[in-house]
Formats: sequence, C-alpha cells, structure tokens
Amino acid sequence: MKYSYIKPRKKSPFTADVQLIITFFSMTFIMLFTTYAFLLFKNYTFTQDRQALISSTIDLQNSIDEMDRKIAYIKKQKDLAEKVFTQNMVLKDSITNLFDLVPERITLSRAELLKNGLILYGITPSKDVYNFMLLAPLRSIFQKTYSSFYPQKNGWLRFVSTNYINEDDTEELDSEN
Amino acid sequence: MKINVSRHQIYVLLLCIFLLLFVVVFSFGLLIPEGKSYRIKRVEVKKAQQEYDKYKNFHDETFDKLKNLQGKHRRIITALDRPFSVERFTKLYRENFSSLKIAKIQRVTDEEGFSVYEVNTSSQITSPVNFYDFLDALNKGDWIIGVNFPIKFARDGEMIHSSFTMKVYENNRDKNSSASGSSAK
Repeated sequence: MKYSYIKPRKKSPFTADVQLIITFFSMTFIMLFTTYAFLLFKNYTFTQDRQALISSTIDLQNSIDEMDRKIAYIKKQKDLAEKVFTQNMVLKDSITNLFDLVPERITLSRAELLKNGLILYGITPSKDVYNFMLLAPLRSIFQKTYSSFYPQKNGWLRFVSTNYINEDDTEELDSEN
Repeated sequence: MKINVSRHQIYVLLLCIFLLLFVVVFSFGLLIPEGKSYRIKRVEVKKAQQEYDKYKNFHDETFDKLKNLQGKHRRIITALDRPFSVERFTKLYRENFSSLKIAKIQRVTDEEGFSVYEVNTSSQITSPVNFYDFLDALNKGDWIIGVNFPIKFARDGEMIHSSFTMKVYENNRDKNSSASGSSAK
C-alpha cells in the first residue's frame, strides 16, 4: 500500500557540504604529506652530504699533511745538496788559491789539504825566496806555520811547510756552511 | 528561540573538528620539528661545504707547491734515490782523470737523516784543472757527492797523483722510505 505518489529520493551522506569539506581536507593532507616527505628526503640527503663532506675533508687534511711532509723532506734534500755543492765549490776555490799561492820559483812535490791545515812539500832555490814568496802569504792565512828545510846536492832546499788554523775558526767555517 | 540543527550537520561539524585537530597535531608534532631540523641541517651542510672548499683550495695550493718543488729539484731527488755504482761513477768521470781507482764503499754514520757512504778515491791527473772540472761535474752528476778532506796531491813525473775521500749521500731507506719513494715519482 502506497502512501505517496512520488518515488523516494535516494539519500547519500556525501552531500555537497561534505564533498567540499573532503576536497578541502584532501588537498590539505596532500600538501602536508608532500611537505613532510620532502623534508624527510632532504634531511636524509643533508645527513648523507654532510657525512660525505666531512669524510672528504678528513681525506684532504690527511693528504695535505702527507704533502707537507714531502715538501719538508724535499726542502731538506735541497738544503743538503746545496750544502754539499757549496762545499765542493769552496774546496775548488781553496785548491785554486793554493796553487795560485805558490810562486813559479818554488816547485811543489806534494800537497796535503787537511780540514784545519795545509802541508806542503817542495823545493825552493833559497830560504829567502821561500820566506818572501810563500811563507808571507801562508802566514796571512794560517795561525800556526812551521817550516823545515833540507839542503840538496844542487844547492837548492827541500822544504816541508806545515800550516794550521785555529780549531775555533774551523768550527765557525763549518757552522757557516 | 529554538536552534534547529540536524544530526547530519552535527556529524559534518564533528568530522571537520576531527580533521582540523589531525592537521594541527600533525603540523606541530611532525612537520614543524622536521622543518626545524631541515633548517639546522641545511646550515650544517653549508658550513661543511665551506670548510671542504677551504681545505680543497689549500690542498690544491699545496699540491701545486709540491709538484713545483718536485719539478724544480728533480735532479736532487733522483740523485738521492739512486744507489751509488762504482762502475757507473768510473764511466762518468773517467775523462777527468788519466786513471781512476775507487775503493770499497763504506757506510758511515747518518747525517741529517741521510745515509752517508764513504768512498776512497785515488787518481792521476795531468793538471789541477782536471780536478776543478771534476768538482764542477760532480755538482751536476747522478749522485750527491761531497769531496772531503784530506786531499793529497803528489807529483808523479809529469802527472799529479791525487787521493781523496768522497762522501756519497743517499736517502735513508729505513727512516724516509715513504717520503723518498713517493717524492721521486
């Protein structure tokens, strides 16, 4: 038995108001979750990046320390080489000066260059020639000079000249080098 | 006055309040702390990046300096790395002498962290100039060698017999092995 001539309209809980609210909140949630996901992702990548940067910085530090050590060692090698080269050059000058020191009238038969002295063996026509032409310049260089003469059959003199400088001066020269 | 509110409207209102509460709790409970953490971490990364850039620049500068030094002093570095060879020495410097004899190599005490070997040399030269040339050549040679006192010259007919000691310097392989090995590359 019908009480109405019209059909009942279907009732839905999703009315226009509810749909509007759901749409609004859906969009809000999407934005919130997206932002949250973005933040989570960025925080993760920041952590990873920071760790990688710190690790790389430590590697760089170690590499710099290693290179500094090598630089210091190369400088040490250079200093040693320069010291040795200078010593060789000083030695060359010393020998040049020694041979320049000996006048033509005196003939050397043997020369010994010591760290703190010089021993010369040779022949001189006379003591005067020796004293004026060789002993004088030797005395200007060395603090202690000893000379011995041995006469030869031809009238010339064989001599041995022993010359030393003070140990203090030698040490000073060493420290300068 | 009677307010006529339907049950449906009450449900909708309750739903709105519930969703709004969720948004507020979510925002203050998770989103804002995460945002703060994001800002802090971003600053930390920036600082770490600046620190890294600083070290990188310094590293590059030090690397250039090292390469420059290695290039500039290559001969010295190689010379200190090269073991002394009597045969090669004789071959290289024979032209400065009429005859050259090298005695056995003896290791003496280390000097400034380097190994020092002593070599006794006896030779014959025609003129002192030969010896000067030898000293010049020694400074440009394959090893770091210093001629040491005593040096003896003795007339031997038309020749001059010379005898002297040389100090050959080498990298101390016990102490500086890593430094010398890599720096010679």
